Amino acid sequence: MKERFILKRKPRNLGISIVVASLTMSLATVMQIGPSSGAPVTTIKVLSWEPGNAKFWKNTVAAFEKANPTIKVKMQNVPNNQYMQVQGPYITSKSGPDIMANNAGLEIADRKSAYLPLPKSMLAIAKKNLVSYSGACLGFNPKNPCYGIPFSYQGNVMYYNKALLAKAGLDPANPPKTMTEFGAACKAIKATGNTCLALGLQGQFPSYWDFPEIARNYLTEADMRNVLAGKLPWTDPKMVKVLQGLATVTSSGWTNSDAPSIAMLPDAANQFSSGKAAFAGTIISDAVNWQAFGAALGDENVGAMLWPSIVPTAPLANSFSGIEGSVYGVTAWSKNRAASFKFLEWLAGPVHASLWVKDVGGISLYRNVDKKALPSSPALAQILKIIAKPTLHVGVLLSSQETDALSRGWQQVALGEITVAEWTASMQAALEASPSKQ
Amino acid sequence: MKTRGATWRNSSSETDKSFFWILKKRIMKFPYAGYLLTMPGLILVIEFKLIPLINGFLLSMQNTRGFEDPKFIGLGNYSRMLEDPVVQKTFLHALILVCTLPIWILLPLILALLIFQESPGWRFFRATYFLPYTIAPIIVGIMFRQMLAPEGPLNSFLRAIGLSSFALAWLQGPTSALLSIASVALWSFFGLGVLTYLSGLSSIPLDIIEASKLDGAGFWRMLFSVVLPSIKPMLGYWTVLCSSGVLIWMFPLVYALSQGGPGISTMLPEYLVFLTTFQFLDRGYGSAIGIVLFLFVALITSFSVRYMFQAGTRGAKS
Repeated sequence: MKERFILKRKPRNLGISIVVASLTMSLATVMQIGPSSGAPVTTIKVLSWEPGNAKFWKNTVAAFEKANPTIKVKMQNVPNNQYMQVQGPYITSKSGPDIMANNAGLEIADRKSAYLPLPKSMLAIAKKNLVSYSGACLGFNPKNPCYGIPFSYQGNVMYYNKALLAKAGLDPANPPKTMTEFGAACKAIKATGNTCLALGLQGQFPSYWDFPEIARNYLTEADMRNVLAGKLPWTDPKMVKVLQGLATVTSSGWTNSDAPSIAMLPDAANQFSSGKAAFAGTIISDAVNWQAFGAALGDENVGAMLWPSIVPTAPLANSFSGIEGSVYGVTAWSKNRAASFKFLEWLAGPVHASLWVKDVGGISLYRNVDKKALPSSPALAQILKIIAKPTLHVGVLLSSQETDALSRGWQQVALGEITVAEWTASMQAALEASPSKQ
Repeated sequence: MKTRGATWRNSSSETDKSFFWILKKRIMKFPYAGYLLTMPGLILVIEFKLIPLINGFLLSMQNTRGFEDPKFIGLGNYSRMLEDPVVQKTFLHALILVCTLPIWILLPLILALLIFQESPGWRFFRATYFLPYTIAPIIVGIMFRQMLAPEGPLNSFLRAIGLSSFALAWLQGPTSALLSIASVALWSFFGLGVLTYLSGLSSIPLDIIEASKLDGAGFWRMLFSVVLPSIKPMLGYWTVLCSSGVLIWMFPLVYALSQGGPGISTMLPEYLVFLTTFQFLDRGYGSAIGIVLFLFVALITSFSVRYMFQAGTRGAKS
């Protein structure tokens, strides 16, 4: 009897031991109890499209974890063009990452239910550290609830390839300032067998990178606020002129022939990087900035300018369409709120800002960023002058429906399938179908 | 004379047989054994097919503004679809694709027959036909976006061989863009069709073919009287797969090649569901389009499935 008893007990003891050991290991994995500190480690999950580059995020996470040993950051990086379909299910199921990124403007405002409003302490830090954070707030007003922390300054410039301009007999030190001059330059560049303006009309790029640069010629800041509020119809003569301006860009033969069927990123940007196109309208921070083009073409060959003006006397003709870049907010369902806000605080801090400048060559929103840390580049020097006179970025004030209709309509106009009047009608229909503008 | 391997195989199969026989006998003694055996499959179908479908249908009856709480609107989204020209156009595009079905069914069959017949070059095709199917559709899309560009390799080749008039802007014409995507899809998936047909062809008993040859049957006679009737089940299976496939395999290709453009010329219902749900954040309307797409695919495939079922039933009775 005794022997049987022992035989029966042994496996049970073993089973209990295995269960206890497994539980301990699981708990240790979940809590990640540091043997040295004894303090539990909180892991926060960040969903992002890795603005800038992978090296920058690796460095920033390492620096944050070093400064905050009780917090571990797990990044979930998704390519920018697949971001929405990954983020969407998280928001609808109200589960997933502790921190998510969205572009400043309507994009984050549309998703406000997914984010916690910034607490007063965070707002105070943002106010103290950042030049601007209104793009993360409802109606671009810091007095309204704000849903995240931006760290980069973003906006549109037109890059040009100095070598191609010189080859066409143009003066690289004096790039075209008006659309008339731009047309003449394009004629000379095309004669050398190159494309004048690298353009891709797929996706959201036409709305974000091209539309604001034409719109500045016809709209005032008050008009732009009306665009945000849905109070400026697309049938308004000013808006029709903007669409006509965009149509002229493609109908004048300045762009690559495949513009209607490719995207600005990566396709058209690649055309510019490979030295086949003289101009490309992209952005100042993140990807496709002066640093990326400098690496491809040589810093000495890359210049940056404002888009040539159509109406040089327009009030905003020489202004920079600027906006805070990506905004990081704490999700409404996060169970690690304290740690997550700590990470946001870090994003608004000096170490993160200097890494953004050093690793990406981006323009930081941090007030006291060391300008000397910026790499020396002729294009960057031009950008710093351009951004000194900012205005609203009207591209981020468009709804998803308007953004989609703008690129599809422009594709069809470029191919001669529809007229500007029909495009206007489709834009108005998109505005009327936009819940965020009703 | 038995080889060592044969002995081993025989003894093994005998053991297997007795083991399974005992297992079957014991299981069948258990009441509700049939229900229990089908339970895992049933649970998977309910969990991953039925519940999402019901959820999708319920969501389609709600008005969803962004990520705000939805409101019940009954069939409002469905009536909205009737007035939406974009939805109507996407289903028209889907119908155009359905019209390409004969090509999807016949082209792999022709290649399979050529390989089976050991026509010149059959070894090369046997080695390569399945290769396109192994490439992820999204990669295929990216690859063909470069190839089909106005100044891309395909047009350069056509110009080089003096066929400049055939060098089109493949992805920019309202009709050529849709047909280009269909062709890319066909290139990508036809290997699966060839494999399906070859598996059918290899199951035809050789003595039937030999007998028909002895009876003086020529190529066409043999094809229509022996080969095709023998691979009818495979033909039916591939038809069902293609009927639904032309409508639901396209998403990654549309996404990578055209994003539904230029304009909406390559917009298919499946892509519209994605656009409406994730970009416009109109989940209710997106679900309604998804449900109608489901019914559309079910209707298209039902003809082939019905035929297969009837053929199967006839086979079982005979």
